[in-house]
Amino acid sequence: MSNNIVENLRKEIESFKVATQTEKVGHVIEVFDGIAKVSGLSDIKSSEMVTFPNGVTGVALNLEEDTVGVIILGEFSKIKEGDEVKATGRILEIPVSDSILGRVVSALGESIDGKGVFKSEKTYPVERVASGVITRQGVDQPVSTGIKVIDAIIPIGRGQRELIIGDRQTGKTAIAIDAILNQKGQNMICVYVSIGQKDSKLRKIEARLEEGGAMAYTVIVSAGASEPAPMSYIAPYTGVSIAEYFMDQGKDVLIIYDDLSKHAVAYREISLLLRRPPGREAYPGDVFYLHSRLLERACRRNEKYGGGSITALPIIETQAGDISAYIPTNVISITDGQIFLETDLFYKGIRPAVNVGFSVSRVGSSAQIKAMKKVAGTLKLDLAQFRELEAFAQFGSDLDEATQNQLERGKRAIEVLKQAQYSPIKVENQVVIMYALTKGYMDNVAIEKIKAFENGLIEYSVRNAKTFYKEVQTSKMWTDKGEAELKKAIEDFKSGFTQ
Amino acid sequence: MAKISAKNIAEAIYIASEGKHGNDLSIILKNGAKMISNKRMIGHSENILKALQDIIDKKNNTIRANITSAKPLTNEQRKNLEHQIKEKYKAERVESVFFEKSELLGGIRIEVGDEVTDSTYKNKLSKLENFLIRNN
Repeated sequence: MSNNIVENLRKEIESFKVATQTEKVGHVIEVFDGIAKVSGLSDIKSSEMVTFPNGVTGVALNLEEDTVGVIILGEFSKIKEGDEVKATGRILEIPVSDSILGRVVSALGESIDGKGVFKSEKTYPVERVASGVITRQGVDQPVSTGIKVIDAIIPIGRGQRELIIGDRQTGKTAIAIDAILNQKGQNMICVYVSIGQKDSKLRKIEARLEEGGAMAYTVIVSAGASEPAPMSYIAPYTGVSIAEYFMDQGKDVLIIYDDLSKHAVAYREISLLLRRPPGREAYPGDVFYLHSRLLERACRRNEKYGGGSITALPIIETQAGDISAYIPTNVISITDGQIFLETDLFYKGIRPAVNVGFSVSRVGSSAQIKAMKKVAGTLKLDLAQFRELEAFAQFGSDLDEATQNQLERGKRAIEVLKQAQYSPIKVENQVVIMYALTKGYMDNVAIEKIKAFENGLIEYSVRNAKTFYKEVQTSKMWTDKGEAELKKAIEDFKSGFTQ
Repeated sequence: MAKISAKNIAEAIYIASEGKHGNDLSIILKNGAKMISNKRMIGHSENILKALQDIIDKKNNTIRANITSAKPLTNEQRKNLEHQIKEKYKAERVESVFFEKSELLGGIRIEVGDEVTDSTYKNKLSKLENFLIRNN
């Protein structure tokens, strides 16, 4: 065994060739808070990688007349004045390979899960220009999140950018994790980018994904709260580069940035330390470009360019529901819609706490499967009308029958859209539930029995409406035969359902 | 007005003193020193001198090289190296300073401005180390 190791090492050493080259070097003038001012490095490019003596990498961000402002990606306490800094001539890049799946990596693509270094054949630049117009295609394939309210009312398509926005503790990450869990068997690679999160939270997420068997198709990129700001700044770009590696193979990728508010804060810190002029809320002038160039890399490629897509779910944390702050408005305007979560709804027990009125998906409806479109078409309108009528209902019960019915339907719709965490529902089952709701089969079921009715109905129809299920699974729409079968199944189940 | 850099002052002193000799030159230099003091840039005098040196070197087509080796170099080796540097940078004169550092183990390291040509064993070993880490 040990002979083998020695033999392999001997072979590798023999195959190693090094040519003496002339390198550009500079010297550290000052170091502070993850930033170094370096003299020399006369021909350096913007975003070029540099190396410090202890192997730490840096990226040149500010190119001035005599000095270069470098962000240090790693431990900066051992870097001292006068240290030699080498230019590498390369833009910051990360190692990528298929074996990165199931791993937790740092913002520099190095494994941090204790499972050792993963083998990489290729490197990808962290900063890259987004796919061009010619290579793109419209969004027309759905991403099934397994969350009823999203799949029915705010559908997301492959290649879309859908913002998840809300205050702290409203279930933003929960939606993202549920979406990852539901991708099992859906031919989707997931990348979860954790920016400035507590390590305990990340560990919990990793354990949950492992438990749900989701780590097999997931990569986690982490820049923890204890790491310096430059790591948080670079992490989302690392994540999207990993996503691009898989997209270039024609695969569909779902990427989650949790969260971009902390990313903007990290960038603000770096910019202020680099003495760039502050603007609104002390963010630098290019904070819009920071996010737009990141989210523009999400796309759906056409067949000629290999197919594949990157669907992005950025998360933004608001303060006291203020969506008109600087970063939320920026990201809202960049993305193709938003899922707005509200604290009030959360505490009313409506979970996921999605405010259907404020949430929108601008391109997702063309990606929604026909069957779902048909059953959920009127749902958003029903809910809007319900909210309007709800205010009237508080004045008394002297309402006409039509209004009463509308109110009852609305209450049931809200109940149906509630869903426990980590319990994604297959799209076929969602169609059955929505069908029963919109066709009025649930109107006389007591509200507190709705959940039991739903669960029972799914179980019953899986067994008794096989044609319907098959049709929805294969052609994404039912035929009259399938519909008749489902109707019968619902009626049969309802007659046996004890209130 | 933009901030005055050490380079700006060095350039100004050089232009003012160009072609001057004797008393004229000493007056210019005295005035230059006064200006540095007035602009509160005495703290930057080292940088100003370095910038001035760079300007003069550029004018005279002179290259300054720091050459470090593990063992002392013979005169012939030194001359040979200087000749090669002269050729590479197309300079008329090479001003070289020689250093010895046993921890380099072998080979030579040549520094010219912000360019370094490092063929020392120490550098090669660290590259081998990185190569082995990456491939295992």
